[in-house]
Amino acid sequence: MTHGTAIEVQHLKKIYKGALHPAVNDISFSVKSGEIYGLLGPNGAGKTTTISILCGLLKQNSGEVSICGLTHENSNNAIKQMISIVPQDIALYPTLTAVENLEYIGNMYGLKGVALKQKIAECLEIFGLTENKNKQIGKYSGGMKRRINLIAGILHQPNILFLDEPTVGVDVHSRNIITKFLKKINSEGTTIIYTSHLMEEAQNLCTRIAIIDHGVIIASGEPTVLIQQYGCSNLEELFLKLTGRNLRD
Amino acid sequence: MLRLFATIKKEFLILIRDRSGLAILFIMPVALVTLMALIQDAPFRDYQELKIPLVLLNQDKGELGEQISTGLVTSKIFEVTKFSGTNEQLRKQVANGEFEIGIVIPEKSSANLNEKVRFFVNETLVSMGMIDSSQLKKTITDEDLPVVVYFAPDIKKSFKNSVLSSIRQVASKLESQTLLISFKKELGADEQTKDSTEKAFGDFITFKEEKSVDQHKTNLELNSVQHNVPAWTMFGMFFIVITLAGSMIKEREDGSYLRILTMPGNYLTVMAGKTITYLSVCLIQCLLMLMVGIILLPLLGLPQLVIGNNVLAIAFVAICCGLAATGYGVLVGTIFNTHQQSATFGAVSVVILAALGGIWVPVYVMPDAIRVLAEFSPLYWGLNAFQNLFLNNGNFTNVLTYTNKLLIFFVFTIGIALISNKFKNN
Repeated sequence: MTHGTAIEVQHLKKIYKGALHPAVNDISFSVKSGEIYGLLGPNGAGKTTTISILCGLLKQNSGEVSICGLTHENSNNAIKQMISIVPQDIALYPTLTAVENLEYIGNMYGLKGVALKQKIAECLEIFGLTENKNKQIGKYSGGMKRRINLIAGILHQPNILFLDEPTVGVDVHSRNIITKFLKKINSEGTTIIYTSHLMEEAQNLCTRIAIIDHGVIIASGEPTVLIQQYGCSNLEELFLKLTGRNLRD
Repeated sequence: MLRLFATIKKEFLILIRDRSGLAILFIMPVALVTLMALIQDAPFRDYQELKIPLVLLNQDKGELGEQISTGLVTSKIFEVTKFSGTNEQLRKQVANGEFEIGIVIPEKSSANLNEKVRFFVNETLVSMGMIDSSQLKKTITDEDLPVVVYFAPDIKKSFKNSVLSSIRQVASKLESQTLLISFKKELGADEQTKDSTEKAFGDFITFKEEKSVDQHKTNLELNSVQHNVPAWTMFGMFFIVITLAGSMIKEREDGSYLRILTMPGNYLTVMAGKTITYLSVCLIQCLLMLMVGIILLPLLGLPQLVIGNNVLAIAFVAICCGLAATGYGVLVGTIFNTHQQSATFGAVSVVILAALGGIWVPVYVMPDAIRVLAEFSPLYWGLNAFQNLFLNNGNFTNVLTYTNKLLIFFVFTIGIALISNKFKNN
């Protein structure tokens, strides 16, 4: 595991047109290479906006973002080659088979030929999808779709992987395979930025977390340290203590 | 190039698995062109080879009745049925729709004409002092005996004019002929005068129909097939707007668009991949429609589509039309946010552009204001370019005005789409 800085965020601010309050308001944090960093927060806290800015999908109003020392303004293409996002939606083509989807994504990252085919076969094997590789993914179960969505994100072996609730709505078996795999690639050097509403999973997976609410980081650090610091028994209790118990939309 | 080919392959696979999309792209235009060519066959023939059923009641025993009857038969516009009933019976037959036109030549029309002419001639000769005024005797009344023409209620104005014009032409010729014979007779010409005058009395001014295009080129008349095949080919090509815009919006809705944006490379490559795929679809559509015109429609009793000799120019026009249609699809898919919005706007706008572009009815029969608007429809440009190649056997030079407009339209729509996309992403 390396210990350079994978992501550096300084005074990041984003306010959407017509919005009364900033979605992200002057947040700063850094993620070391090889970390699994959890961005936790209630709905509308600013997690997705932060990830979108980090991936270059949105432009911030102010503040600085660097990915492995590069900025989107100067090295957008190089950053895109190093990162990958696994969105919450199954961002794949339902009428294409698993292999066709993965071949397309591999090609878009410059992978081709035998190397790509081998990589696809290997990933499908790990996630138990080999038997269904030629089935259109629109006909997959929810868990299978989540797994193929994750494979699409890791196919080109990114240095930094952004995961937006990768295990939402999946069965225990699929979740188990996914979390095991995430730990495996993390141990091999992939930095992971992870958002989730599943506190138990986050506590188990993340080396460090930041809890965001109303666009501001209200707590950050190692999960166990934070839990102790606030006198809570687990991450969920800490989360509720810091963000309140009111419903969020 | 890898990204470009990957996008083309992906778009192609998605397309061929979308059955309803394929139906819109291929089955609908084929059905449309076949039906419209069949439906519009008769109206197109109206102006060319179709004969209008006409019933004629000739109560006159003389030359006027005979000449009008012969004139109508030889005009090739009418299918003449001679009637032997009464005037009222004939009127009812026309009113009931059994005939489109009914003509009644009243009794003694010829005698009436001859008498009027004789009186006119004598009057002239008296004024010239060539005969004595005692010979000027009017034996007929001033009562007119008009030729009555009945028209079915649904008959077109152009047909009315054709009929009246034909009758007037015959009557006018007969008037002149009778006048001349009468003059000759009064001036003491012999009995053979009448025959020689009839022979000599021809069309002093003659007309010759010439082709407006160069001698070596064909100049086909517009028929249902020649109009409908290129017209509905254009319509079908532009209908890819629905499928293309739908695919772009679906990509945005399911998140794959965002995934594409996080991938290395320029989004233009992805756009180019989409454009090439849908352009290929347009070209296949075009080929299919031309085959329908050349093979299928003749089997249904319609004329065969004639496409001229410039296959390369046809391919060039098809590419320009395909690009214009694809550009429009990309624009609609970029501007609108939901599939419903894009499908509704796409379909309605293409129908409007088609109407303006002369897809249903030729532009020359439209009102002036609409004809001005037609100049702005890409379907009009495409249709004109195709017809120039098909009807006049034109070449690249003849279609450049239209193809340039189509290419500018493509660049314009893609440009607007890219700018709009940039704004949306920000």
